[in-house]
Amino acid sequence: MELTPPVLNLDWQEVETKIKRFIKDYVEKSGTKGLVLGLSGGIDSCTVAALSALAIGGDKVLGLILPEKETYNRKDTEHAELVAEKFGFKTKTVDITSTLKAFYTSISIFDPTDNVCKGNIKARTRMIYIYYYANRLNMLVCGSSDKSETMMGYFTKWGDVAADISPIMDLYKTQVRKLAQHIGTPKAIVAKPSSPALWKGQLAESELGIKYEQLDLILYGLEHFMKTEEIAKQLNVEKELVNRVKHRWLSAEHKRRMLLTSKLEYRTIGADFRLPRSYY
Amino acid sequence: MKEKIKIALAQISCKRQDKAENLTKIEKTVIKAKKQAADLIIFPELSLTGYVVRDQIYELAETIPGPSTKVIENIAKKTKAHIIFGMPELSKKTQATIYNTAVLVGPEGFIGKYRKMYLPTHSVFEEKRYFRPGYQAAVFDTELGKIGLIICYDIFFPEISRLTRLKGAQLIVCISASPSIRRTFFETLTVARAMENTAFLAYVNLVGIEDGLQFWGGSRLVGPNGKILVQAKYDDEDLVMCDVDYADIRPVETFVPTLKDLRPELFDELKNQAENL
Repeated sequence: MELTPPVLNLDWQEVETKIKRFIKDYVEKSGTKGLVLGLSGGIDSCTVAALSALAIGGDKVLGLILPEKETYNRKDTEHAELVAEKFGFKTKTVDITSTLKAFYTSISIFDPTDNVCKGNIKARTRMIYIYYYANRLNMLVCGSSDKSETMMGYFTKWGDVAADISPIMDLYKTQVRKLAQHIGTPKAIVAKPSSPALWKGQLAESELGIKYEQLDLILYGLEHFMKTEEIAKQLNVEKELVNRVKHRWLSAEHKRRMLLTSKLEYRTIGADFRLPRSYY
Repeated sequence: MKEKIKIALAQISCKRQDKAENLTKIEKTVIKAKKQAADLIIFPELSLTGYVVRDQIYELAETIPGPSTKVIENIAKKTKAHIIFGMPELSKKTQATIYNTAVLVGPEGFIGKYRKMYLPTHSVFEEKRYFRPGYQAAVFDTELGKIGLIICYDIFFPEISRLTRLKGAQLIVCISASPSIRRTFFETLTVARAMENTAFLAYVNLVGIEDGLQFWGGSRLVGPNGKILVQAKYDDEDLVMCDVDYADIRPVETFVPTLKDLRPELFDELKNQAENL
């Protein structure tokens, strides 16, 4: 296999159709009234919100904009509203600063300098808001994690990845960019550097230590059972870099799977209780 | 035996785990197809239960004959139709040994069944976990001609289609539950199996979404020369009809005599090599 950018090309019209059909089918079968999404103004959430609106109608899609003082970026909020206006779905803005402050002040071991622990509170707090709206409005939560960050474990466990469905989780970040362009997501959103926005100045590529264009090809090679030596050779990168990506991918499996328990009984949740996902 | 028959490809979606609803849909579709003068109506793999039912298969599987085949037999008798459909078959001799089976019934009742031989257990497929493979190719001499049955992944293995042809099949029926990532394979292999065997091939695929798997439909009837005589829609339910004239096999078999040119001695070598892969 030749590991070059064209291997990531897909028929974007077909991808759009499949994702829309997937969303529509799941919402209809669930009997719920629509979808709630956390809308950060980044490419992933804007693209999934747009696809959701195209699939089930904008009146059944609610984008929750959940800014907080420390990482507030006017551009992100503007982008969220821009995409909502273009694809005709509803938004609601809730400032979560005071909620976060209540957490920080009530946790006796809270350390304001520990960005990761503090950032995870933000992601999980947003999850609580999103699920509250979904429960209250009889809607489902739609996630917007992509394949690159999910494989790398670059997300908060029970935080931003928590959702009922994740329509773009089988697309790498660079593929999401292509899909976003295809469906007409505004250019400013597509071109913007990705950030989880859990602390000021946080940028995904800096934190991961690699550009998505390169990361996605490494992950694609790993997905297709290529050996690390072969991937490094083809991409003309250090084998150590490929090994680092591989290690991070494998060591994050605990974040992607059902809770692990000790096998004790006849059929066990998460192990050999194998049921169809939806019962209707 | 009729030389000319009309076949209906009944490309349906199934309500998973709801046999009653699926039987109702099968009955309605048969009635609709009969109004268009269909002799044989073909439904997808596991059309009685849906494809992704996982552990629930143990609750859903039935013996043949059993309550569901009785319902289908009654539909066939009432409408004077031949029907092929798929279901999880519970062995009569055990309590939890299940086959992935295609069933053929006619106006006179049950005609025969075929148990899938090649059970995909890779990628998203987990059939060997639940099903025991079949051991016999199946061809049935009916008033609609000699009909051979295969199921989905069987089509990747030319020997099973070839075997049905060597047993006399004029029409090879492949019922399927193929997700869209496999479309190119099936679109190629359906044509190949028809051409290399100089037989008609009816392919009927499921549609709908089950646990994120999108079944692509695209059911088709392929002539013995590889020509696609009719094709159903992609992704949506459809019912398409096609006339088959078995006399069309002769000129193809004469022009591309693959059966005449068979070299049986190669099969022994094939067996030796396959056993030592």
